[in-house]
Amino acid sequence: MFEKILIANRGEIAVRIIATCREMGIRTVAVYSEADRDALHVLEADQAVCLGPAEPMESYLNMDRIMAAARASGARAIHPGYGFLAENPAFAMRCEQEGVVFIGPPARAIRDLGDKTVARRTMIESGVPVIPGMMQPEADPDTLAREADRIGYPVLIKAAAGGGGKGMRVVHSPGDLAEAAVSASSEARSAFGNGAIYLEKYLEKPRHVEFQVLADAHGNVIHLLERECSIQRRHQKIIEETPSPALTPGLREEMGKAATAAAKAAGYVNAGTVEFLLDGQGKFYFLEVNTRLQVEHPVTEMITGIDLVRQQIEIAAGSPLRISQEDIVGRGHAIECRIYAEDPLSAFLPSSGKIHFVKEPKGPGIRTDSGVYSGYTVPMEYDPILSKLITHAQNRSECIQRMKRALKDYVILGVLTPIPFLVDILSSEAFEKGETYTDFIDTHFADWRPTLEGTDLAVLAYVVDTLANRTRRPSAFTAETQACSPWLTLGNFRP
Amino acid sequence: MNYSLRIAGQDMPVEAELSEQGSVNATIAGREVVARFRGISPNQIHLEVDGVGVNAFLADDPLGKLVNVGGTTYLVQDADDLARSGPRRRGLKELPQEVTPPMPSVVVRIMVGQGDPVEKGQGVVVVSAMKMETTLQAPFKGKVLKVNAAEGDKVMPGQILVDIEREAEEGKDTQ
Repeated sequence: MFEKILIANRGEIAVRIIATCREMGIRTVAVYSEADRDALHVLEADQAVCLGPAEPMESYLNMDRIMAAARASGARAIHPGYGFLAENPAFAMRCEQEGVVFIGPPARAIRDLGDKTVARRTMIESGVPVIPGMMQPEADPDTLAREADRIGYPVLIKAAAGGGGKGMRVVHSPGDLAEAAVSASSEARSAFGNGAIYLEKYLEKPRHVEFQVLADAHGNVIHLLERECSIQRRHQKIIEETPSPALTPGLREEMGKAATAAAKAAGYVNAGTVEFLLDGQGKFYFLEVNTRLQVEHPVTEMITGIDLVRQQIEIAAGSPLRISQEDIVGRGHAIECRIYAEDPLSAFLPSSGKIHFVKEPKGPGIRTDSGVYSGYTVPMEYDPILSKLITHAQNRSECIQRMKRALKDYVILGVLTPIPFLVDILSSEAFEKGETYTDFIDTHFADWRPTLEGTDLAVLAYVVDTLANRTRRPSAFTAETQACSPWLTLGNFRP
Repeated sequence: MNYSLRIAGQDMPVEAELSEQGSVNATIAGREVVARFRGISPNQIHLEVDGVGVNAFLADDPLGKLVNVGGTTYLVQDADDLARSGPRRRGLKELPQEVTPPMPSVVVRIMVGQGDPVEKGQGVVVVSAMKMETTLQAPFKGKVLKVNAAEGDKVMPGQILVDIEREAEEGKDTQ
């Protein structure tokens, strides 16, 4: 086993990885940028190495400096976390070449799965269902009609040069195809200077369902059940849960088999996630493989009782899996909410600045994976995730109740968070019924405004605080932190 | 004591008095409230209203006090203080009158140069904060007097990135 691991990441995920290393008796090396001197992962690690200026290219994305930090500190393995260099095959290759163990899949698997067309071909060859569609553009109406029949209606016309919805049409019946193809093509021509179009199966109200897989270097591959991550805003997941309310035991088994087949076909080693879209008829389609630890991995840990970071480290050290598929049992239900520093009222703009006070929720079945503390200043250079709140309970409805309670008990003063928005999502009838499709936010919460039930109490607390002349240690507002405050520039109400 | 407090975009008149025994009598926008209170820590007050206990968490912010009750954080400000210091207020929908970033950011692109004419709403500078890009727009039609930032600069809210000379709109005074 490794004596020392370098964690090439920051924030809550670096803190979470340090925790497992500590439990395993492995010493940890944190790396940080100049903006992160006081970050929690720096304070928690056994050792910390400054990489350079705040810009990611000068620090967390700088391979030369990270490899130098590993050499200087004597770390024999690097955990990349998620984001930054986690899915960069050049970095994994560099580790291999310099004799440092990359705690993740081999560089070749990262490269192959990162290339959409290679990944799609690999999946088709190993019998994993992919979204049916045409492989090349076509202009002839008869050929298009034949292809549409093969794919099955509804079909989606897409522009080959496309993006941003231009040149896209949903066609529900064969009678509408020819006309839609002409108008999509002309729209594509005026938008991109290229009128080439092709067809793909259109999925109505799809869900995002992904399977966690673990593969060792000895050919053993298992899956650790699914996670449903359909609640997304601008393709960013915000609430994840397991089990998925849409899966029957039979479908779970079928999808799990497809996920392990996908991992085997790609020559995958270590922890990975196979993402699928699931339609209303229980048909599922391969989307992509995430070749890293996922942000939402804790929900899987809660229901299976398996520490995924420990598994990653053991696999990277060459140990065979000590658990088999039959050992994997999901117990109860788990939900994760991502707590971003953002303003749900101002188009979810990021909100950086000083956190004056934090109180995390406590109690049975509650976990926080956090990278912040009272007095911490949230830097503006990085992803705005502050922490993740995870609850675990006997069943889905109790888990929702527990999450709502925990969210309301989570106090963060100084930066804005979407906590009131998350509470309202979890309280909605659609969420309670498990009607969670990828268009959930657009359908139900496009015009969300907060309910302001607590204003009288807040005002009361304000006057008591003022009249009782309670003093807090004067917070050292420097000119900069003052300017950082979102209260200065954004509108009146703050959730 | 009488206060005029601003919370969630509304002004609320508040009359309040504390008693020796740890209770507060208050009239909030005409509603009478009697509550017991205990200071628990510098950031926490326990209130008891109609026999029901509730915790409030507070912190000082340069613009007022941040108060969290029931899972929601409010900014509570003294409206009299605001009137005295006279800060510029603006609604969420209103266009700013200056080209300034809404949050600490890094300048990604500058799309105008000195002397360029600009239309109202035209993008002039793109800034990035926490991996999200925002385009700052010209608040009115006019001419660029000076560009005060360069690509790669770290900029703060309040900092004017582009000075624009306002052009008189037809049929309107410029004041």
